[in-house]
Amino acid sequence: MLSVHSVLPSLKANATSNNMTNKINHPELCQWLKSIAIDRDKQAFTQVFRFFAPKIQRIAQSKINSEALAAEVVQDTMSNVWRKAHLFDDSKGAATTWVYTIMRNVTFDLLRKMKANKEDNLSDDIWPLAELANTEEEVFTDHIQSRNLQGIIATLPENQQQVVKGFYFMEMSQEQLAVHLDLPLGTIKSRLRLALGKLKLKLGDPHD
Amino acid sequence: MIKHHPKFELLQGFVDGDLPASLAAGIAIHNNMCASCQQKVSQLTEQVAEASFEQSFHHKIIVNDEENLTEIAEMDFDDMINQITASDDVEPTKAIYDERSIDFKGMQYTLPSALRNIELSKTAQIGKLSRARLNLGEGEIHTSLLHIGPGGSIPEHTHKGFELTLLLAGTFADAHGQYVAGDFIMLDKRDQHQPATEHGCLCYTVANDALHFTQGINKLLNPIGAFIY
Ligand SMILES: [Zn+2]
Repeated sequence: MLSVHSVLPSLKANATSNNMTNKINHPELCQWLKSIAIDRDKQAFTQVFRFFAPKIQRIAQSKINSEALAAEVVQDTMSNVWRKAHLFDDSKGAATTWVYTIMRNVTFDLLRKMKANKEDNLSDDIWPLAELANTEEEVFTDHIQSRNLQGIIATLPENQQQVVKGFYFMEMSQEQLAVHLDLPLGTIKSRLRLALGKLKLKLGDPHD
Repeated sequence: MIKHHPKFELLQGFVDGDLPASLAAGIAIHNNMCASCQQKVSQLTEQVAEASFEQSFHHKIIVNDEENLTEIAEMDFDDMINQITASDDVEPTKAIYDERSIDFKGMQYTLPSALRNIELSKTAQIGKLSRARLNLGEGEIHTSLLHIGPGGSIPEHTHKGFELTLLLAGTFADAHGQYVAGDFIMLDKRDQHQPATEHGCLCYTVANDALHFTQGINKLLNPIGAFIY
């Protein structure tokens, strides 16, 4: 159905880079979320917004039957994405799953407010977002206090540890690491970026 | 070992966010104790999410609606993006929650995290039964924490609606066998049961209609029916 593309011009770039399929470009979504988390990248957020917002609007509208309230779901969901992007961990699940969880929770709380007249916002207790986050993060609160870089690096997923240690402690270039670990250069770069984002957060310095 | 699990339709409703809070919380509590249901829910969530955000999703929607919607949406969306990104707020990486506990007959129980923000009413008692209502505001669906002291039981009864009993701590037994913490026992109006506990137990119960007592003398015990319900 061509109309989808004509009414949603923002999706064209996505669709062409995917060629003929309607499949979701997961690596691209992950990359955008990482850029939001690490660089507070407004451009990346706009991309994520343009991908998800119209779909959230439709899903919410079919559930709540009100255009205004559906827009509220879009606003709340996307605000959460902006505020919580650093909690997204692509090793634990797809970006779509993460955004879906936020949308489902926002919708649930809104419907409870309407139907049960309760503003207890139970959704995050029933479906904790943190469950999707890395369980290795359980240990890092102690590490913040000691500000022990080695200890913090040890909380990263193994594949990010390799890259960070190689780059910082063995002073290998990204190109050398790619050869050494037999991985594409792009993978090395994205792992390093992801790891650095986490390190900054864990060292209590989310901004540059 | 946990033998009683939510059936698939309930897990589906849980993932879709379509269940009342009382049942959704019950499933969340069960899943925290049951790796197998937890895994089913994770897989289901991933599939539902993928399907929701695939472009083909829109093929189900009438084109006219879509055009109207998109025109309205696109006007507001740029404003919304600016408004959202104007905020510097970042969620703390790790929120720390206080554990919430409740006492029954001198025993202290830590509540499951799914229940930590639900308003609790004062505990009421009849004999070995103690009950604290969870005030979810769901009309005819009533949710409670029910404690049965050692040697206690609930008179045999059936249900007009459904009754969920989720065992949080301790054990109990009925005609069907023994139950352990995590067992998710959903009964409907066809079922009869008479749970009894040797050492005491704590249950999370959700029921949408008064219990109907089936044994002669217990028909006189209507207050207990209303009490549990
Ligand atoms: Zn289970």
